[in-house]
Amino acid sequence: MARIEDDAKPQMTRLLSNETLARVEQMRLRPNRRLTNRARGEHAAGVNGASVDFTDYRNYVAGDDIRHVDWNIFARLQRPYLKLYAHEEELHVVVVLDASLSMRSAEKFERARQLAAAFSTMALLGTDRVSLFAGTGSDAPLAILRGVSGRRATRLVFEFLENLEPEGDSTIDETIASTLRIHHGRGVAVVLSDFLTSRDMAGSFNRLSSAGLEIFGVQILAPQEMDPDLTGDVRLVDCETGQTLDVSSARELLDLYHEHRLGQHHYLLSQCRRRHGRFATVSSEQSLETILRETLLRQGWIQ
Amino acid sequence: MSWPGFSAITNAWWLLLLVPLLIFYFLKLKRPRVEISSLALWQSVLNDQRVNSPFQRFRRNILLWLQMAALILLVVASMQPFIPGTAEPAAFQPVLIDCSASMAARDPASGKTRLEEASERVVGLIESLKPDQKLSLIAVHSSADRMTEFTSNRRVLLDAVKSLHVRDVASRIEDALRMTQAMARTVPVESAILISDGNFPRKVRFALPFELNYQQLAPGGPNAGITAFNARLATEQSWDVFLRVEASADTYGRLILRQDGQSIGEQPFVLGASESQRLTFQVNSDHSTELEARLEFGSRQVDSIDSDNIAWLDLPVARPLRVYATPSLDSFRRALAAMPGVNLYPTDGQIEQRSAVYDLVISDQTRDARLTASVHLLIGVVPDGVASLVEPARRSAQFLDWDRTAPLLRHAQLADVETADAIKLTDSADVGDVEAAGFSVLASGTAGPMILCQRNASTLNYYTLFHTSRSTLEFRVAFPVLVANLVQIARQEASIGNVSAVLTGVLPSMRRNVGAVYSVIGPDSSRQQVRVSNTGILQGITASQAGRYELISDTGESVSIAANLLSAEESTLKTVDRIEFDEQLTASATETLQNDRPVWSLLTLLALGVTLVEWWFFQRPGQRVRS
Repeated sequence: MARIEDDAKPQMTRLLSNETLARVEQMRLRPNRRLTNRARGEHAAGVNGASVDFTDYRNYVAGDDIRHVDWNIFARLQRPYLKLYAHEEELHVVVVLDASLSMRSAEKFERARQLAAAFSTMALLGTDRVSLFAGTGSDAPLAILRGVSGRRATRLVFEFLENLEPEGDSTIDETIASTLRIHHGRGVAVVLSDFLTSRDMAGSFNRLSSAGLEIFGVQILAPQEMDPDLTGDVRLVDCETGQTLDVSSARELLDLYHEHRLGQHHYLLSQCRRRHGRFATVSSEQSLETILRETLLRQGWIQ
Repeated sequence: MSWPGFSAITNAWWLLLLVPLLIFYFLKLKRPRVEISSLALWQSVLNDQRVNSPFQRFRRNILLWLQMAALILLVVASMQPFIPGTAEPAAFQPVLIDCSASMAARDPASGKTRLEEASERVVGLIESLKPDQKLSLIAVHSSADRMTEFTSNRRVLLDAVKSLHVRDVASRIEDALRMTQAMARTVPVESAILISDGNFPRKVRFALPFELNYQQLAPGGPNAGITAFNARLATEQSWDVFLRVEASADTYGRLILRQDGQSIGEQPFVLGASESQRLTFQVNSDHSTELEARLEFGSRQVDSIDSDNIAWLDLPVARPLRVYATPSLDSFRRALAAMPGVNLYPTDGQIEQRSAVYDLVISDQTRDARLTASVHLLIGVVPDGVASLVEPARRSAQFLDWDRTAPLLRHAQLADVETADAIKLTDSADVGDVEAAGFSVLASGTAGPMILCQRNASTLNYYTLFHTSRSTLEFRVAFPVLVANLVQIARQEASIGNVSAVLTGVLPSMRRNVGAVYSVIGPDSSRQQVRVSNTGILQGITASQAGRYELISDTGESVSIAANLLSAEESTLKTVDRIEFDEQLTASATETLQNDRPVWSLLTLLALGVTLVEWWFFQRPGQRVRS
């Protein structure tokens, strides 16, 4: 588990163990698109720049800075050629965290906070800018940590996340809408939620994409939601709203439930891919290391 | 096809429990609450399935169907359904169960006795007993025992069935039918069930007032047995012993005769079906002795009944017959004087001893009826019991009819005998009144009854209602024949000269001290207390089992009497499938009546099975998530 505490060493945060944090610090986000800002950063902007990464040669034309002439080639060919380097820009990573009561069960919120901490750490150590938005109640304001960057900001991120508690009945689409009213800037939107809502997420994904954010959607489900163990006639109670739903012969409906859950997964996945984003469903019983290694690293979310 | 019936149809009201079952199902009053993160997925699942439609919910919910099936099965079981049999149910049903000796015959295949088969049938009747039906069990043997009153208590009835046992006696169903008839006076008895192997006389002297369902059991295996055992005094110290062995099927073996425990001879026998063989032995004894005859069969022979394979005969000390004949009856005295082995009293010149014990008294004096003897022949004496029924005919009379099978009149030709002082019945009396008075008419004349017979507990009395000296009887051949028959009867009654084995049923009466109490120990160690009557007669000792009975008085006196089956009908296992009653009524064992077959236990098991299926269905392991 990610929260394994080593009493011998002081922990940077109770969300991530020092070993996990050390591994996370080595990782970087791999967005599909170059949705970067003009500020200098570590992400190639698609134009020639002044980074140390060589990209190509071209003929020298009048006015070019002679400092970029490759003198070795000039000595060999007696013709000036300019050496081109990649231009790297800053990436803004927006972490949208569902902090409603529905995330409370089976360490879903804990896993969401850990993922938020991991994504934020990767971004901050990659000289990217990070903003965190956590939605609780539909009427309550968002919990916000805006535009922090630099390694030193990791402590702010950790403290922000550690102080979050699941409450309220906000839905993830409301949280996204509220986030986009505040946030401006291109980059990556990491959406951490159980996505258990009856509302269509296509609109929210559209808005994220229109705002220049590449969607990294992670659906975190409890084991009971992945594989419910219900039998007979039960009365289901929504932990957020208190609404009830009577289900008869629940075991008879499990097949149908699985069809619907997988159908929702495929729908959200297709909606994200249509917008060049990514989407994955993980179980809250999986450890953070497992999620990072088996899902995010393997599927190319991070490197 | 017969539709099932219901013994407790009112329990169908329990089906109303279906209403609360459905109500509870639809209202779901006891649903466990499960908190989940969001109802969104489940709502879409339910919407997809449209389970809110009551019909579809009803159709899909197999649990509800199983619960309803279990409830319906239990309610139907409580209604006590049954598949009707061929026997008509009666509210009061007497069941007559044959317990005679032949019911001990075993079926070689199943090893069950006939009585065990009968008991199983009776148990079937008890199991199928309806709530408004009552049975009364009656054991049939030489008499009848009512085992239970009319009752529907299964425990009492089953206990009575368990107590049924075979009696070593020949069966007579008249007593049982009369008992049933008596029961029918208090409760409405429409029919009675007789369960028997059919080993009883075809003709039954009984006017059947109800229907008789005669259920005949399958016959038992082969059997052979001793059916007669008697002895005749040959000389003063020698007896000729006669035995008869009869068989129901081919068999062979040997008969071994023991005297006081010592084997004195054996003879082989080979018999076919329904054949008999007479075996003769000669036994010498100058004192009373006990004979025991036992059958031993070949190694491959099967014998169904054990009680007829052994018989006992007690031979008394040989002595002359003591006969008292009134001196005035000169013709009788002359005939008796010529017979060997007869001591005639009073002898010439001797004073009459009225206190002496005689074997035979022949007199024309009414007072001589009080002389102590086993057999009396009173000449020209009208017994007190019929004095009011007869009157002098005042004319001569001739014999019209007589019972040629009666021991007294055997081989006697009375057709040409005339009497001068005949007796006739009064105008208001008939022969039935005479028989009702306890007398049987052995001979009838043109005027009325001529010879009567009366058997008391200890004496056998014959009455000629005419005086022989005023008839032509003394001049006919019939006279010495009659006297010889009389002596033969006296010898038999006194066990002198001719001795027959005692039969089971009731032991013969004996003269004993007045008021003495005897403890009777039977062959099965059963005990009964019998008191000697005021007339000095010990009688009424029940002997339903073959074997020796020890009679021990309160003064220590001990008497041993052996009772024997000795019944040709029982040993040969002859059966009748049709009983003929008076008034030309018959009962045939044409088919075995099938009892009502209860099915409540089957339904209860089905309900249990349905409940288990429902439990399994409810608890079955969940299916895996499809990847």
